[in-house]
Amino acid sequence: MSKGIIFNIEEFAVHDGPGIRKLVFFKGCPLHCTWCHNPEGISFRKELMVSNASCIKCGKCKEICIHKECTVCGNCVDVCPLRLRKISGMEMEATELAKKLLKGEEVLINSGGGITISGGEPLAQPAFFFDLVQHLKPLNIAVETSGYARNEIFRKMVSEVDLILMDIKHTDSEIHKNYTGVDNSLILENLEYLCRSATDFFIRIPLIPGVNDSVLNMERTAALIKDARHLRRVELLPYHQTAPAKYSMVNKVFKPEFDTNKKVNIWLDIFEKHNINAIVL
Amino acid sequence: MNSRIKLMLEDVLQKKHHQFRQNIDNEILHDFTDSLKEQKLSDVQRAQKRLTWVLDNEIPVILPNEKIVLTRTVQKIPEIFKEEEWREIRKEHYIHEKGRVCNISSNYSYTIEVGLEERRKEILLAIENHLSLGNKKNNEFLESVLQSIDDIEKLADKYAQLAFESGKEDVYNVLKQIPRYGARSFYEALQFFRILHFTLWTSGNYHNTVGRFDQYMFKFLKRDLDSAILDYDSAFELLEEFFISFNKDSDLYPGMQQGDNGQSLVLGGVDENGGDAFNLLSEMCLKASLELKLIDPKINLRVNKYTPIEKYDLGTELTKEGLGFPQYSNDEVVIPGLLSKGYELKDARDYVVAACWEFIIPGFGMDIPNITALSFAKVVDKSIKKHLEHCKDFDSFMDYVKLEIKGELNSLVSSLKNIYMEPAPFQSLLMNGCIEKGKDISLGARYNNYGIHGTGISTAVDSLAAIKKFVFGEKSVTAKEIISAIETNFEGDYTLWQKLRYEAPKMGNDDDFADSIAVNLLNDFSELTENLINERGGCYRPGSGSAMYYLWHAKDIGASADGRKKGESLSANFSPGLNVKLNGPISIIRSFSKPDMKKIMNGGPLTLELHDTVFRNRESIRKVSSLVKSYMDMGGHQLQINAVNREKLLEAKIHPDLYKNLIVRVWGWSGYFTELDELYQDHIIQRTELNI
Repeated sequence: MSKGIIFNIEEFAVHDGPGIRKLVFFKGCPLHCTWCHNPEGISFRKELMVSNASCIKCGKCKEICIHKECTVCGNCVDVCPLRLRKISGMEMEATELAKKLLKGEEVLINSGGGITISGGEPLAQPAFFFDLVQHLKPLNIAVETSGYARNEIFRKMVSEVDLILMDIKHTDSEIHKNYTGVDNSLILENLEYLCRSATDFFIRIPLIPGVNDSVLNMERTAALIKDARHLRRVELLPYHQTAPAKYSMVNKVFKPEFDTNKKVNIWLDIFEKHNINAIVL
Repeated sequence: MNSRIKLMLEDVLQKKHHQFRQNIDNEILHDFTDSLKEQKLSDVQRAQKRLTWVLDNEIPVILPNEKIVLTRTVQKIPEIFKEEEWREIRKEHYIHEKGRVCNISSNYSYTIEVGLEERRKEILLAIENHLSLGNKKNNEFLESVLQSIDDIEKLADKYAQLAFESGKEDVYNVLKQIPRYGARSFYEALQFFRILHFTLWTSGNYHNTVGRFDQYMFKFLKRDLDSAILDYDSAFELLEEFFISFNKDSDLYPGMQQGDNGQSLVLGGVDENGGDAFNLLSEMCLKASLELKLIDPKINLRVNKYTPIEKYDLGTELTKEGLGFPQYSNDEVVIPGLLSKGYELKDARDYVVAACWEFIIPGFGMDIPNITALSFAKVVDKSIKKHLEHCKDFDSFMDYVKLEIKGELNSLVSSLKNIYMEPAPFQSLLMNGCIEKGKDISLGARYNNYGIHGTGISTAVDSLAAIKKFVFGEKSVTAKEIISAIETNFEGDYTLWQKLRYEAPKMGNDDDFADSIAVNLLNDFSELTENLINERGGCYRPGSGSAMYYLWHAKDIGASADGRKKGESLSANFSPGLNVKLNGPISIIRSFSKPDMKKIMNGGPLTLELHDTVFRNRESIRKVSSLVKSYMDMGGHQLQINAVNREKLLEAKIHPDLYKNLIVRVWGWSGYFTELDELYQDHIIQRTELNI
């Protein structure tokens, strides 16, 4: 029995693997990508999340607060008349989470879908992750991962799930470190293993203008994966202007360190050249 | 869409044909009504005279590029009774809506097949029969129908003459054959339909539904394709032109709001033997609607166990366009539901939807499926105030709720006495048996059942769930506190309001705690209507639709025990409460398939709003299709999905000029968003906010 922390469950995910999928977001990530659009997925702890857009400034939240700095006590959440405040992060037992995810599973099964475990980085809570996977079987399980995990954890995951959606953010280790905060060598080792494995996988590339959308980086990425027998496709996800939307909600500042207005380059042909099925999502 | 259709579509969207509309003075209309009274005409004669007057006044217009003709130039249809006459009638009678035959489905196909001259013979024969039996009264009706045939033929001749003069040989040739004689081709059949449908509207009848167009028109299409009179493309072109014709005069049709005109077209479903009836024409209709992106005709798709997922995909492609349709109806639930209310199997299999969603039978049904509405929210409100304090447990409280439903139903039903509708001789020609019997359709047909909408179901369920949890379960709130909270609109008890609104279980979250209450309420509704009989010998049909009642009923009550404040809306149709944050679509379809919808057989769709990004590619479209199919597999009766983008809606509110074509669906019909009252606009925006 293990406990973990998640920040959301989406019931009708249509872009995260085959069929209708429930998508669970694990909270916490060892990477700190400057373009991250789920800032509440970075910290492993609960956080206060406030949506200011329709705030009527009634002051009820301030009235009730007795702390100098937020302790995530949640007192202000309940008094907001529009429910614009919430605590992001639910601690759950794996069994309890599995039960929640399996509810209505016939809809998932009949559509050829299942559960996708995402994050944050799901492999950053390995005990919770594997426990959950055991309880979800035999339902189709997909994982969305940065690939940044200890080799043995990654390998175990590969042997236990049905589909892996793995990111390749950059092939160059320096640039990778600059923009994500971590070196990519562990990721590339895991990728190599994945390419040799017998588990179906997608490669996902968040296309960030001026960071990783060069011909050279795409060529190198394609070269890494072109011989993988179980690569089902490459999904290119162009950077979207809505990425900063949630930063102020978790009291963070969006510091992209790249030109967000620049048009992103999409080189589908590079993948097609290698007979890799690639799509833009 | 070829260039001819493109031009026609542009012209209609720009309303170029409006230049041909006549400005007939209101005084002339009033004089006409006065003259009916002065001539001491019977009601049926008055109705017939009105049609003659309108069609006589019609000036034929053939628009550029047109092959299928008939465009309204007479804008207003005169009344047949003066105001003071109506006042007298209302004293004696129950009047439904405008007091006219409406919201039924005609048997177009028989007349299209045999032609008006054949119908004339039938009428003459019937007159003879009635004469020999000494039924003079019936002949007044039959003579009126006969006159309407003359009127239509005269109108067609006017158009034929114009076609001849303007060198439109194809139009001229068609009008030489129909409407006098039966249609020989798909083209003639479409033009014939246009004439019949046009005449229904000019008769003053409204919500004139289209019915199972893909079934009754298929033989004409097939014959033409088989004999190479038409190829697929030319048939598709005709179909597109035909669809455009539904949008020419629709702003003149009566309805509660612009767009509420009831031009529902039903596709697919089973045939009379229960086999799959989806055909080439069904598919062509879905594709034509997808290309044209017009709000009429409104597409309904009947699905059943034979319906493959690919057909749902065609529907989803259409949903993606944001037209608010297709609306799906599930044969596996609807047909048994109709059988349980005494409909014959052959008729039940032939069901169509009325203007919004109610299941009716073409040719045989004079049901009034929207005659009244039960407000679940009001019943629960009443029960709380009257009984909650003396109940020792939740079950005994629910017994009182049932009692109140019974009382409310009895009071609703008892007002429906001595109904009167203006006679509708031309509409009668298109309903089975009226000619033979010499009986106007306004007096009834094979089916004369009345439908009762059920509104505010989720508000009622959520209120009851809160009571079950806090008053009887946790005992953290007293009955008195609940009553005082809703009476004072929660003033002074902010904490209790929060608790009721945000911490109680809600319908739509796949939580049996709340959903089982919905099951009970709907079972009660069905059981309590079982033994009610209307004055025409028909039954009462319980439904889950709301129409505009959800707005009216919201005004009848103050705050409710689900934390809904006074003045806040009830949700439309069979949908979760507004302001309720839900887990997502899977939970919603599971919750809303728990009640036995075979019993709630009047219809009323579950409405889901999906943000338009889920329709991004073929794969995701398939997933939306799977979701729809899942609801049907679980026993859902009817579903409709809106593809919405909230930003789009907000912007449209500020810049209506830029968003004239933004179409949304409210209750059972689609309308242009910018043409809706602000109240409706806000309601739609509020609904979509939940999906972010």
